[in-house]
Amino acid sequence: MDIKETVLSILNDLTGSDLSDNLDTNLFDTDLLDSMGSVQLLLELQNQLGIEVAVSEFERSEWDTPNKIIKKVEELMN
Amino acid sequence: MKSSKKLWMIIGPVITAFLILGVLLLLPLRFDHNSKLSEEKAAVSLSPQIFKGRQFKEQALSGKYVPFFGSSELKRMDPYHPSVLAAKYHRNYRPFLLGNAGTQCLTQYFAMQTILSQLKDKKAVFIISPQWFVAKGDDPNAFAYYYSKLQAITWLQHENGSKMDKYAARRLLQMPSGRSDKFIKNLLYKAKFGHKITRFDRFRLDVDANILNHEDQLFSAVGLNNNLNKIKRGEKRLPNSENYSVLDKHAYSYGKKRTNNNRFRINNNFYKRRLVGYVKGLKGEQKNFDYRKSPEYGDLELVLNQFAKTHTNVLFIIPPINSLWTKYTGLNSKMVQQTDNKIVHQLKSQGFNHVVDLNKYGSEPYFMEDTIHIGYRGWVKVDEYVRPFMKEKNKKVNYDIKNKFYSYKWQQLFPSKKNLTNFN
Amino acid sequence: MINLQPYGNPQYFVYLIIALLPLIIGIYNGYRCRWYQSLISLVFIFLMFDGPKSHQGLMLIFYVIWQWIIVGLYMVYRKKYNNKWIFYLAVILSIIPVATVKITPAVAPDQSNLFGFLGISYLTFRAVGMIMEIRDGFIKEFHPILFIEFLTFMPTISSGPIDRYRRWIKDYNVVPDRDKYLSMLDKAVHYIFLGFLYKFLLAHLFGSIIVPKMSAMAIASGKGLSWGLVGYMYAWSMDLFFDFAGYSLFAVAISYLMGIETPMNFNRPWQSKNLKEFWNRWHMTLSFWFRDFVFMRLVYAMMKNKVFKNKNTVSNVAYVLDMALMGFWHGVTWYYVAYGLLHGIGLAVNDTWLRFKKKHQDKIPHNKFTKCFSIFLTFNVVCLSFLLFSGFLNTLWF
Repeated sequence: MDIKETVLSILNDLTGSDLSDNLDTNLFDTDLLDSMGSVQLLLELQNQLGIEVAVSEFERSEWDTPNKIIKKVEELMN
Repeated sequence: MKSSKKLWMIIGPVITAFLILGVLLLLPLRFDHNSKLSEEKAAVSLSPQIFKGRQFKEQALSGKYVPFFGSSELKRMDPYHPSVLAAKYHRNYRPFLLGNAGTQCLTQYFAMQTILSQLKDKKAVFIISPQWFVAKGDDPNAFAYYYSKLQAITWLQHENGSKMDKYAARRLLQMPSGRSDKFIKNLLYKAKFGHKITRFDRFRLDVDANILNHEDQLFSAVGLNNNLNKIKRGEKRLPNSENYSVLDKHAYSYGKKRTNNNRFRINNNFYKRRLVGYVKGLKGEQKNFDYRKSPEYGDLELVLNQFAKTHTNVLFIIPPINSLWTKYTGLNSKMVQQTDNKIVHQLKSQGFNHVVDLNKYGSEPYFMEDTIHIGYRGWVKVDEYVRPFMKEKNKKVNYDIKNKFYSYKWQQLFPSKKNLTNFN
Repeated sequence: MINLQPYGNPQYFVYLIIALLPLIIGIYNGYRCRWYQSLISLVFIFLMFDGPKSHQGLMLIFYVIWQWIIVGLYMVYRKKYNNKWIFYLAVILSIIPVATVKITPAVAPDQSNLFGFLGISYLTFRAVGMIMEIRDGFIKEFHPILFIEFLTFMPTISSGPIDRYRRWIKDYNVVPDRDKYLSMLDKAVHYIFLGFLYKFLLAHLFGSIIVPKMSAMAIASGKGLSWGLVGYMYAWSMDLFFDFAGYSLFAVAISYLMGIETPMNFNRPWQSKNLKEFWNRWHMTLSFWFRDFVFMRLVYAMMKNKVFKNKNTVSNVAYVLDMALMGFWHGVTWYYVAYGLLHGIGLAVNDTWLRFKKKHQDKIPHNKFTKCFSIFLTFNVVCLSFLLFSGFLNTLWF
């Protein structure tokens, strides 16, 4: 499974919606994600992809759409 | 768009607004004339901005309005209030109410500064409350509430080093409000010691006065209390006859209906709102009150001195205190009588002969609206003196001001009969 | 002696803007005159804390030195090691001054103002935030001068908004280009005048005219529910909003003039449809601080260590702890703590409802009316919480 698919499946679990067609939706403005969801996202990324993201690093404006999250994760994986 | 133009789009409106305001405040223009209705409203509004300002008072008092100086009793706007009676019976005068809770002599003195030419050779009514004469004198907070720079600046423009001026400067400097502005404070010190004001300072006074007068002309109509409906409602209730026995009976039954939820003949609303929770604690609580020695006597002298300078023909009224209430609170009625004696002595020995001391009416039912405020039949009684006073043709009056009434000795004099007659 | 309280009256703006003019002209022309910025900041901070406030000024100096030592030493330590106990120690030491100031009045009422100064809690948020980000490895340098400039950033020193070091330093190190700066100036002018309306007109109307009337009415009506009390609740809430939002607009506007984009504190809070949204719109820099440094860390820790099985329990517990802490931060009195608990529980209830609503989307109506109703309900719950917060019930009852 590649990174994009993994991220989307995590988001699917967390938000209850399939976002593969809405890669630029703002997850916070649409109430799909909140602080709780963000923490779960960070933990899932850690469990499933093994990347450590500190809470400090979670700057909302850099994590607010599926595309941005995928990009961030790709950066962190390399 | 070029950035300099953008910059102008941002700060241009701000600069323009300040320029317009500057022009309005600084140029020697007058923005006056209030409509008849706003004048009527201002005369009964009791709003501090009217009291502190100039324009409304000046215009109204140049017409048929007569100043009624006083304090919180002016708020008791039942149908027998002077403003209602004058309007209902189409008298040749209308009261312009000057004062509210906490306006005492010093406050009145400084507020008078803005209407000196309207006081000149005119009539006025002045209600003096014995409660003003507490040992500490005028309360700085109450003073601050009714004080304006306009009063002080106008006063400084007039002062010329007389005894009155020195005393007034000293008193104003004792108030935090008088010391709040550095420029005014420095000039007050000069006035206190009788030093002349320099030409440059005089120029600055004129500029400041111009700005403050414009501010007053432009903005003092904003947010007036509207008491006019109370006056109109009162007019409807009054009988058509202004015969005093009719009016008195009318006031008797009106008062009786409104003072029946307590044993002190205090207005029901007042009792409910202000007293009910505290009544118990007030029993015997005023037995040590003493109005006989107070700096207020010196401040009263300022007012009298000012009236003497403008040759104002003044009717003084000293209201009584509700005797059911004083018996309960333990207020010493002999002390009150002596206070009144001292005030009357200060007035009469300087030629202020229109003095009405209503002290003995404190036990008359429905004479008072509540504890210390005259109302109902009390207002009718006041009118019995006001009406003939207003009817009388005005003549120039001369008073004989005696500086000894500024002295600390007078302020602290125990007003026994003997002390009063022997005071020098 | 001249003492100028920040944004206390319109004159203050005249002095401040005249003093800032050289800096503004410089930034407009692409140059930030750093020494002048520091000098002006120092002068105005001095004028806030001189004369009758000089005791506070002294405390401010001690406080800054204290934080400087803690943050500086922790930075030195963190470059080599990363023991969590040392981290906790640094945080606790950093919080000690503000905790002392907040707790003293509850234990020894006469000593209340001994260590305090205007703005102490806002400075603490900035310092503690830095320690946490140093631990996470995102702040890598301790700059002895810039640290002080950030901690005591003049426009925001007295009551926020609470900025973050990493964000602030980015703005400080660059000069906005002319177009960007023009748009900042444009906003600054707008904010200052909106602030005038809020603080000098509306807050005055509610705070100095309506609130005292309502207070007298409520006290006259006794301890129970009365029209006076209801009126007091709404008038006080409006006063709080206009006063604080007005102040925040000033602080943001002056920061903009200095070329620093201090974050906004309010974003139309009264149109929130639920409590959660309210906290995204009300005193935003405080609630975001608590969200990032308390709530999220708490949740992270609880989830990682699997303290509770159910993740909803985790978030509910975190809400209550987070808000209770915020209540305590306002002061150790029953009504601040009750206010915090009310919001914590409110947020938990709110979340439960949102989950329920999501599950039963088809059955629960969602239209204009429900939207209006939810805004109305949120507004009233918030006002009720502010009545608690105002401490008026304390005066009324005890």
